[in-house]
Amino acid sequence: MLPRFNDVIHMLLIVCALCFSQQLLADVKLPTIDEQYVDIKVEDPKRDAGYVVGDILNRKVTITVKKPYQLIKESLPIVGYEHRYKGQVSGVELISIKSPSTKNDAGETYVLDLSYQVFKTGRAVKPAALNPEVLKMRNTAKKKQTVQYALPLFKFRISPLSVIGQVRLDREMYPFTPPLTLDSSPVIFKLKALAVVLALALLGLLYILGSRAWLPRMGAPFAKAFRDIKKMDDSPAGIKQAVTRVHTALNKTAGASLFNNNLAAFVAEKPAFALAKPAIEQFLGLSNQVFFADASQALKNNDPKAWLLKLCRTLRDCERGLVPDMAADGAKA
Amino acid sequence: MSDRQLADWRQLALKLESEVNKVVVGQSNPIRLITTSIFARGHVLLEGDVGVGKTTLLRAIARGVGGAYQRIEGTIDLMPNDLVYHTYLGEDGKPHVSPGPILEAGEDLSIFFFNEINRARPQVHSLLLRVMAERTLTAFNKEHNFPHMLVFADRNQVEKEETFDIPSAARDRFMMEIPIVVPQDKDIMESLVFDTRFHNVDQLVGGVAESILQYKDLNGFAAMVQDSVTASPTLRKYALDLWRATKAPMDYGVKVSGVDMNRLVLSGASPRGMSMLLAAARVNAWLNERDTVLPDDIHAVFHETIAHRLVFSPVYEMRRGEIAREMLDGIVNSVAAP
Repeated sequence: MLPRFNDVIHMLLIVCALCFSQQLLADVKLPTIDEQYVDIKVEDPKRDAGYVVGDILNRKVTITVKKPYQLIKESLPIVGYEHRYKGQVSGVELISIKSPSTKNDAGETYVLDLSYQVFKTGRAVKPAALNPEVLKMRNTAKKKQTVQYALPLFKFRISPLSVIGQVRLDREMYPFTPPLTLDSSPVIFKLKALAVVLALALLGLLYILGSRAWLPRMGAPFAKAFRDIKKMDDSPAGIKQAVTRVHTALNKTAGASLFNNNLAAFVAEKPAFALAKPAIEQFLGLSNQVFFADASQALKNNDPKAWLLKLCRTLRDCERGLVPDMAADGAKA
Repeated sequence: MSDRQLADWRQLALKLESEVNKVVVGQSNPIRLITTSIFARGHVLLEGDVGVGKTTLLRAIARGVGGAYQRIEGTIDLMPNDLVYHTYLGEDGKPHVSPGPILEAGEDLSIFFFNEINRARPQVHSLLLRVMAERTLTAFNKEHNFPHMLVFADRNQVEKEETFDIPSAARDRFMMEIPIVVPQDKDIMESLVFDTRFHNVDQLVGGVAESILQYKDLNGFAAMVQDSVTASPTLRKYALDLWRATKAPMDYGVKVSGVDMNRLVLSGASPRGMSMLLAAARVNAWLNERDTVLPDDIHAVFHETIAHRLVFSPVYEMRRGEIAREMLDGIVNSVAAP
């Protein structure tokens, strides 16, 4: 049997009345909860300007509702709800919400992870705000009492999209917005890395050229001999002393008195000195001249002290495991 | 004049070496040392195993040096007079006396080769020592001179039976003791075995040019070499340090493995030994066209002039060769010059 037309009308009226009353109920402004029953901590986005359409703002709200109040979970913001701000569609939409909670002795703590996306743009900078969310609580001691708590408002500015050729940043820039900065961290990292390389290179150069004894192997025989010979004078006695000093360093390095007849064995045992073998032979020749033959003939030649210093530097490079620059040390004694 | 002479004689010395090197292969260092001894006028003791070429080497040297060459074999029944004369019954049935190997050539004797000297009795050593030291011998109521004579002796250290150890005083008379070892070069070893040239020793030695040196002038020239090659004060100090080190190796930090160094050396090098060392070093310098002695010249002859003079505790005598080499190496390595 079909219902009568009047009954249908009647039912429609009842449904409409119910819907309307629900809307009325929703918009009812409830009393605000006493502050002592709520602990809140809000982590807002770090900047409040420079947002453009499509940007996402994340907000984290940690709220503890103390007993006897209890959060009405249905009052949590709903994803996709179109919100209005000052009578107009705000253009800022909640796109995700996570609301894990933990219970404790005092009440229950909710951590609300809210993500909003901007769906609004324009030719000028416009103020906007994240949705003013209102949470509702129920007093479990008094079943009928319901209260509300409005989350703090976060205001920000929405910037227009810049179109290449149409926008001049110096004119369009919002005066209170700090200039956009480039990400300088890679450059800073590179700079630091280069500084380290430079420091190592300088240290290496110091190691090669340095004549002090505070680095490993800087106190080795030829490094010491180099320092000692620098202090000796150019007189024949000084040259003899310098030649003796080089002999001492050679003998110490070889672990035996070094002569022409055991030089090959020395070089075989310490290959680092192989490149310097001709220079050592030349030195032994000079030593023979100075100590066993006509010393005056040897000392007549050009600056034996300078040559001995070069030789010491060459052999110092060898003892430090460096490749000596034989071309630079090729001066004849 | 003297420079020219030095150069000319050097050419002759090098020619002698070259000729001997042609017939005695793989022994260039002993040949250089023997040449050095000849010009330093020192007697030589050769030491080596049987059949390594000691006799061939000496015969080749003797041929090159020129003058008379005499040879005697050391045996246990050899007596001193066997070196001086022979007695025999002649065809006429009467006893005859003829000069022995030392006297036979008279003053022309340039090389006297005593083969296997350690098989001869100490009495024979004693006679030989006088001849070596003074180059004179009294026989038949007359003093005989051998001004050009050099003694080359050899001994085999491996065999000990029926041998008499040469006393240190006798060893000290020799300027050098030169070891002769088999060459290790594979080609030389092969040619020594398969090249028939080396099988006939007489023919081989005959290939050496005769009388390259004017042996009668050697004494005079040797003195000239000693006068013309100088030793600097630094070298003298170095030589003295080496000498001290042979007497007290511990003072120079010298160690020999497995040897108590406090007990090892009973006597180091003698003054005669050191003077012979320097004489040989001077000749080595001259052969290398230098007029000053370098440490390298001393090193070139150090082992051969000093090792046989060292007197060790009897407990170490059996290892003499090995210990002496290690000790002298240690001395050369420890003593600095300058």
